[in-house]
Amino acid sequence: MKYKSQAVAKLYFIAAIGLFLGQILFGLIMGLQYVVGDFLFPAIPFNVARMVHTNLLIVWLLFGFMGASYFLIPEESETELFSPKLAIITFWVFLAAGAITVLGYLLVPYASLAKWTGNDLLNTMGREFLEQPLPTKVGIVLVALSWLFNITMTMLKGRKTAISLVLTLGMLGLAVFFLFSFYNPVNLVKDKFYWWWVVHLWVEGVWELILGAMLAFVLIKVTGVDREVVEKWLYVIITMTLVTGIIGTGHHYYWIGTPVYWQWWGSVFSALEPIPFFMMTVFAFNMVNKRRREHPNKAAVLWALGTSVMAFLGAGVWGFLHTLAPVNYYAHGTQLTAAHGHLAFYGAYALVVLTMISYAMPIIRGRAANPERAQIMEMWSFWLMTVSIFFITLFLTGAGIVQIWLQRISTTPMSFMAVQDQISIFYWAREAAGVVFLIGLLLYITSFFVKGESKAFE
Amino acid sequence: MLTQNATINLVELQQVPILKEGENLPGDFALWIFIFAEMLVFGVLFVAYAFTRANNVELFNASQLTLSRTSGAINTLVLITSSYFVVRGVAAIKLGLSKQCADWLMGAFLLGGVFISIKIVEFHAKFAADISMSTNAFYMFYLSLTFFHFMHVLMGMVILASIIVKARRGAYNAQHHTGVETGASFWHMVDFLWIILFPLIYIIR
Amino acid sequence: MQKLQSTRFSTLIWLILVALTIATFCIGEANLAGKSTMLTLLAIAMIKSQMVANYFMALRQTKVIWRMIMLAYFVIVGGLIALAYLMGLT
Ligand code: HEM
Ligand code: HEM
Ligand SMILES: [Fe+2]
Repeated sequence: MKYKSQAVAKLYFIAAIGLFLGQILFGLIMGLQYVVGDFLFPAIPFNVARMVHTNLLIVWLLFGFMGASYFLIPEESETELFSPKLAIITFWVFLAAGAITVLGYLLVPYASLAKWTGNDLLNTMGREFLEQPLPTKVGIVLVALSWLFNITMTMLKGRKTAISLVLTLGMLGLAVFFLFSFYNPVNLVKDKFYWWWVVHLWVEGVWELILGAMLAFVLIKVTGVDREVVEKWLYVIITMTLVTGIIGTGHHYYWIGTPVYWQWWGSVFSALEPIPFFMMTVFAFNMVNKRRREHPNKAAVLWALGTSVMAFLGAGVWGFLHTLAPVNYYAHGTQLTAAHGHLAFYGAYALVVLTMISYAMPIIRGRAANPERAQIMEMWSFWLMTVSIFFITLFLTGAGIVQIWLQRISTTPMSFMAVQDQISIFYWAREAAGVVFLIGLLLYITSFFVKGESKAFE
Repeated sequence: MLTQNATINLVELQQVPILKEGENLPGDFALWIFIFAEMLVFGVLFVAYAFTRANNVELFNASQLTLSRTSGAINTLVLITSSYFVVRGVAAIKLGLSKQCADWLMGAFLLGGVFISIKIVEFHAKFAADISMSTNAFYMFYLSLTFFHFMHVLMGMVILASIIVKARRGAYNAQHHTGVETGASFWHMVDFLWIILFPLIYIIR
Repeated sequence: MQKLQSTRFSTLIWLILVALTIATFCIGEANLAGKSTMLTLLAIAMIKSQMVANYFMALRQTKVIWRMIMLAYFVIVGGLIALAYLMGLT
């Protein structure tokens, strides 16, 4: 580790992995509820489990992003973090807020939670991904601001690189677009319209900047390729991302009561969104092929390449699959959407955080790379999780196609619930793949505790 | 290498060096990726326009008559001329003539301003007539395409402006002028997209 | 010594572009329509774009592949537009 203060990242990474485990457990609970309807009822109803599953996802990714940037920014800026203490305080505040919120979801009926937390004052709750009570939302903003402040100050006192600039820009965007979660117009069309400014503009806009910056950072480190080359790629990728992603928001405006021209705007621009993801894949493989050194951390290279490929598959290919308005007309809100959501979130954001952890954690623990055995275990966990989520995606895609057919295309359309009965076999298969995913994750966690002769720095 | 005298002679002869055969694209390659992506977007929109029209021929023909062909044609001439000025600007910098380069680009920039002004008048007339993207499919395409193109002209002008400033500071010379070529390539793209757009939307029926 | 290209040549290209633009405008003013008019106008547009790409952007001096990409673009976009118009006729 070059700078002492980079060590704060460790706290964040540990929390991220812990919450990730929680997310998967709730995923499995829901997966079972899909086929055994009253499983754990009334203790954990489906809607509560869903909320916990998705909110834990977002929160652990945020922990991951923050931890990763506390590691990355000092290294790029060649200076100690502006205030490690602030980073630690922020960590505990965020963790406490997150824990209380999840407990609130699990222990209190949602309506009461809303009443107690001042939802009457400013109505923001009850929308997918943005279910957090008002105090939690305010907390998230404060945490994001403290994070932004800390890394901006660090950057200002040190070297300014393209990577840290793009990362900071991405995080600024993350904070700014989250502000739209406070805006909840009564008009349902407007509500949905701005809801996507958080959800879509996050994952298909500003988060992609974070993704690109982190991937570029790790690739420079493990390949030793010239920074200049990497920076040029990074700029082109983020430009393409923003050009296609911002107007691409239109692919959510087809059927919510917005003007018809969105069908054109959304289709054309979002159809081009896979380009930056594809460029990321080409970029990653290019860098690794041109590498100037063999980094002892083989696992980190695998995670980085895996990120670029899976992000392209999940976001680029599965996104494109249903993004054109005439296709989306049939596919909207089916299991196909869930298939895409899983592969994209895992492939792009879960994996990039795991890539950063894989690269940074050994260094924080005082070595260039983990012992051989630990790395092999880590690589196994990569394959188990990646292959199983890919199968989850395939099963849900199958379920989605059958669902679309029976429910929306067939000349004798069936009702929603009748169709669900027909496709339960896919849900069983999804649950089985989910168990394999859990095994992969447990293996991943175990790999941190494997002892052996660790690799020293070159 | 050309000597200073020879340079001046050549200018008088209206001669400038050109690239050798088989070179790479003029300007920064990164921008070319961007240019190709932009061409793709416009290409898809052009084709989408044409196929949508095929199902609504009467509507498109009727609505098309409300457009001002004259301002469309003038704007075409304006852009073509500005593109020509940009060519001259690039030619000048290849001889190391920063000031001439900046002047030619300034001419192109001002013509960009003329284009924008005419376009604003045109948009204003349509909005005053209560026409919007929701009026019908023709106006949806007309407004989307021309507005999207309008934004590209503005962006091109920003690029030109920054090149002009740098050229005036003497940042480019006969050997190093990738920046000028990059901006020029973008401006030419904006030009040829309009060259297709104009007959497609204003005239062909 | 590098090859030389006359800026007179660029000026000539510019004049041709202007002339073709005026031709397009006149066809519009004459209110001509139909298959051959459509094809003529499209051909003019594609030739003009191709001229800008080849001579103004100076793609003529670059690797063949770039010119081919440009040409393919104009042919495909122009061809599809023509196809759509022909479909509208019947
Ligand atoms: C890493 C990037 C991405 C992530 C994390 C992601 C995630 C998601 C999620 C979670 C949803 C469901 C939202 C809901 O609850 O309704 C969704 C919907 C959608 N995504 Fe993505 N996505 C990404 C990139 C893309 C890309 C690049 C495209 C297009 C090429 C795309 C196209 C779509 C479409 C069309 C929908 C709406 C589906 C429907 O109508 O039900 N996504 N995405
Ligand atoms: C491994 C086992 C997993 C299982 C069994 C599982 C199961 C589920 C289920 C049943 C839903 C609710 C779908 C609905 O509302 O009908 C869901 C939603 C979701 N899950 Fe998972 N999940 C798992 C892992 C993951 C992972 C690893 C990620 C991301 C990294 C993820 C991200 C999401 C997202 C973004 C949604 C919301 C999707 C949407 O709105 O369309 N899940 N999951
Ligand atoms: Fe989206």
